[in-house]
Amino acid sequence: MSEQSAMALGLQGCPICTKVGPVECTSCEICGARLHAGWSNSIQRTWAWLITSVVLYLPANFLPIMYTRFLGKETENTILGGVVSLWTHGSYPIAIIIFVASVFVPLGKILVLGWLCLSIQLGSTFAVTQKTKLYRVTEFVGRWSMIDVFVVGILVALIQLGNVMSILPGMAALAFAAMVVTTMLAAIVFDPRLLWMSAEWDDLK
Amino acid sequence: MATWGRGVLIMASAKPSQMVCHECDLLIGVPLLEPGEKAFCPRCNFLLAANRRNAQDKIFAFAVAALLFLALANAFPFLGFSAQGQERTVTLLQCVAILITENFPSLAAIVFALIIAIPAIFLLGVIYFSSSLALSRRLPATEITLRWMLWLLPWSMAEIFLIGILVSFIKIVAMADVALGLSFWSYVFFSVCITVVVMHLDKRELWRGVRALPNE
Ligand SMILES: [Zn+2]
Ligand SMILES: [Zn+2]
Repeated sequence: MSEQSAMALGLQGCPICTKVGPVECTSCEICGARLHAGWSNSIQRTWAWLITSVVLYLPANFLPIMYTRFLGKETENTILGGVVSLWTHGSYPIAIIIFVASVFVPLGKILVLGWLCLSIQLGSTFAVTQKTKLYRVTEFVGRWSMIDVFVVGILVALIQLGNVMSILPGMAALAFAAMVVTTMLAAIVFDPRLLWMSAEWDDLK
Repeated sequence: MATWGRGVLIMASAKPSQMVCHECDLLIGVPLLEPGEKAFCPRCNFLLAANRRNAQDKIFAFAVAALLFLALANAFPFLGFSAQGQERTVTLLQCVAILITENFPSLAAIVFALIIAIPAIFLLGVIYFSSSLALSRRLPATEITLRWMLWLLPWSMAEIFLIGILVSFIKIVAMADVALGLSFWSYVFFSVCITVVVMHLDKRELWRGVRALPNE
């Protein structure tokens, strides 16, 4: 059998039990899981979560993620500031990990999903296989952005020595955690078969 | 047999050989695997299916072990920290509780769910449906449990939390001494056990097993 994309054939695999079935199915006949077609207004829902993510992305990056109090003096720390300070202290691998997880992945995810939604709405037929693959990647990597939230949680819990040295959580930590959740939800409600609908769907019906 | 899509023939459920690669969307026939065999996507190398040896026993044993380690991780000091002649030891739950006292209860709830509650629910669910399979009896709601646990999987973030701890250490190692408590090691073992459980979960095999259970 030649290499074929399931979407191009009007088929999809159930993410929960792997059963292959027609892409129009709203729920899986084997396990009952909700399939992509089960989300009505997928594009609008994806946009709604994406816009929420963008609204959260701004405070997450520009407000302090934590406050460091050292010998009575308080300084604000932002996500990007944290990356820069790790870099200047020579912790290059960790600086790169945090930059990728906290800055690159969330932004990339929002841009990719936004681009996919737009290209569906514009009826684009460009590189649908690659777009499907890109979607799967964003779906998979999103959860790793939570690292920075956990770092704040641990530092705040550990470093509580009153005025000598304390770390307090900032608004950005909550905004960032909420943003990771909303980008994960945006990926869940996105319906990748729509990529193929604008491409070849017409002659499948 | 049924005809779907562009005249592609898909076998009825008696011979579940068609799969779709989750990464690259390739439609491909994957035969049922013998124990110890794995199937990779020929186009992108994604692991499509793996019938690991004694998977059922291992899933059950490691899920029970993971739950025990999670309980231990909550019972002892988690991390210790000393600087400027002062010391401080915290438990895992204190890491969550401090966020509540610092006026971030919603952040505390998110962290608690991702690192403790969801992994615990996931493990209980895994123990439940693997008991069903081990007893060859369809316990109530076995299928719903299996479906929900597979759905819950991405929201269980124990391994991401461990990376977070590592990053925290690197951030403070220059200015303070960090001590790893008994609970920290319990959490590491818990995280390893849950990873072993996830590695052995083969969606196709699980559903084949669950669907073959006799109706009471
Ligand atoms: Zn299914
Ligand atoms: Zn593939």
